[in-house]
Amino acid sequence: MGGSLTKPAILIAVIYLILKFVVPNIPGSAPLPSSLIFLYLMLTTAGIVIFATMSGESKDAFWGPIQRFLTGENIGALQAARYAVLILFPLLVGWQTYGSTAVSDQPPAENRTIHPAPPGEYTGLSNPVAKTPENIMQGKGFYAAFCSPCHGGNFDGKGPAARGFNPPPANFRRSDNHRDVAGKLLCSGASRRAASGLPIEGMPWKSAMPRWEVELPDEWIWKIIMGEYDGAHQSPRTWE
Amino acid sequence: MRRVTERHRPGFWIGAAGAMVALLSAGVTPGFAQQSVAVRAVLAKGALPTDDPNAAIWNTAPQASFPMSPQVHWQNRIQEVTVKDVKVRALHDGNQVAFLLEYADPTEDPDDAAALEFMVGDKKAHFAHGQPMMQVEGGPVNIWYWKNKDKKGVDMNAMGFGTLKVQPHQDVKASGAFSSGTWKIVFSRPLATEHAEEDTQIIPGNFINVAFAVWDGRKDGSGELVEKGSQKAVSSWWYFRAEPPPDYSPYLYAVLAVGLAVGFQFVLIRKLKKGQEA
Repeated sequence: MGGSLTKPAILIAVIYLILKFVVPNIPGSAPLPSSLIFLYLMLTTAGIVIFATMSGESKDAFWGPIQRFLTGENIGALQAARYAVLILFPLLVGWQTYGSTAVSDQPPAENRTIHPAPPGEYTGLSNPVAKTPENIMQGKGFYAAFCSPCHGGNFDGKGPAARGFNPPPANFRRSDNHRDVAGKLLCSGASRRAASGLPIEGMPWKSAMPRWEVELPDEWIWKIIMGEYDGAHQSPRTWE
Repeated sequence: MRRVTERHRPGFWIGAAGAMVALLSAGVTPGFAQQSVAVRAVLAKGALPTDDPNAAIWNTAPQASFPMSPQVHWQNRIQEVTVKDVKVRALHDGNQVAFLLEYADPTEDPDDAAALEFMVGDKKAHFAHGQPMMQVEGGPVNIWYWKNKDKKGVDMNAMGFGTLKVQPHQDVKASGAFSSGTWKIVFSRPLATEHAEEDTQIIPGNFINVAFAVWDGRKDGSGELVEKGSQKAVSSWWYFRAEPPPDYSPYLYAVLAVGLAVGFQFVLIRKLKKGQEA
């Protein structure tokens, strides 16, 4: 059975594979959300149904095998698949109904933005402190005193005070963290971005980062940043 | 007719087995409570142990464990604290809620103390005493505090360090028991109070934020308290939920939906068969 259904099935499978595996690999593209893939496949299916039912002859060729499958007339070995469909369909309907009526017992999902964009007023800020070995050394000393309890003596975010904090302190040895968090720190006037200065998408109420801008002179903060970059063997992201 | 039925039987069972395998592989797995993300107060099957940290009924409540850190967000900071983890259980009876905080502390001291912290209302509050945030308008925190030598719970509010205020109306009860290097402290309060602007309101089924703080009341060589005021062990925000009474209606709806789907299939196939015969 189903010679006329083979082509549509192949078409749907090919389109799925393209959307799932080819499109994300196109330069500048990104993986498609499953809801979008589902929408495209539904549109494809609708197109196939319209195409297949354009004439009486093609309609019969298209629906015939489906009808025979559902009624179980002369489908031989496919009988097991028919029973599977007839059992699965009601169970899936029941499962969907349960899922949409049951109240979730899981905590709310937290879509926290780890690296929010720095505010516009910091655009173009640059480090006013000279990059000398003395200043870097002094910055490392300040880092050890003020930052290392959480961010770690090794700049890896694993300081002795880190264990209870959620989100955990940034690991400055990771280049992506460094560029996004510390880079923005540097670009945006020291620590103003990190602590309770985060925008709402960064969930500042969960951040343990102190508001150093009200406690330390600006010069110290710039020196800390220089010492931290040097110690973590990273380099700051700059404004493009 | 009998011959047809017999012919269908093996196919039916293969189909049924295939359907079950497909359902199981489709991710129909039971949801597990995420321990150490949320404290869940289950409905107590018996009297709520509001003043008994050692009551046997506590064993019926699931235990969650949360890591603690020294308070470093704001002055005065502390670099090291005694308590590294707190274990938390909770029960409620529809009117009252009771929390059991459990943690290791080598010595019992008069100044040993512990606290629960909640956000109040809809506004987000910083976990460090509701410290002001620069881009977000924060709300107050409600703090339930217990100190060994005071032998009572204190209901407080804060909106930033240095703003701690004892409420004129006290709704929180607390009592502690120390044994073999472990503190067990019970906090209790009615789920709802008449002061919604100061007290966190607990509605069964809703998740609210909770954080923990512990002070080891030991003294150093010069007789000074090592942990006091803002120098304490703290946790970040986690979640708390008083479990709602069981609701079986989704199962009923699901069974109804299965029945409707089977009926739909039956009518559809019957109609198709009639069409084929015609």
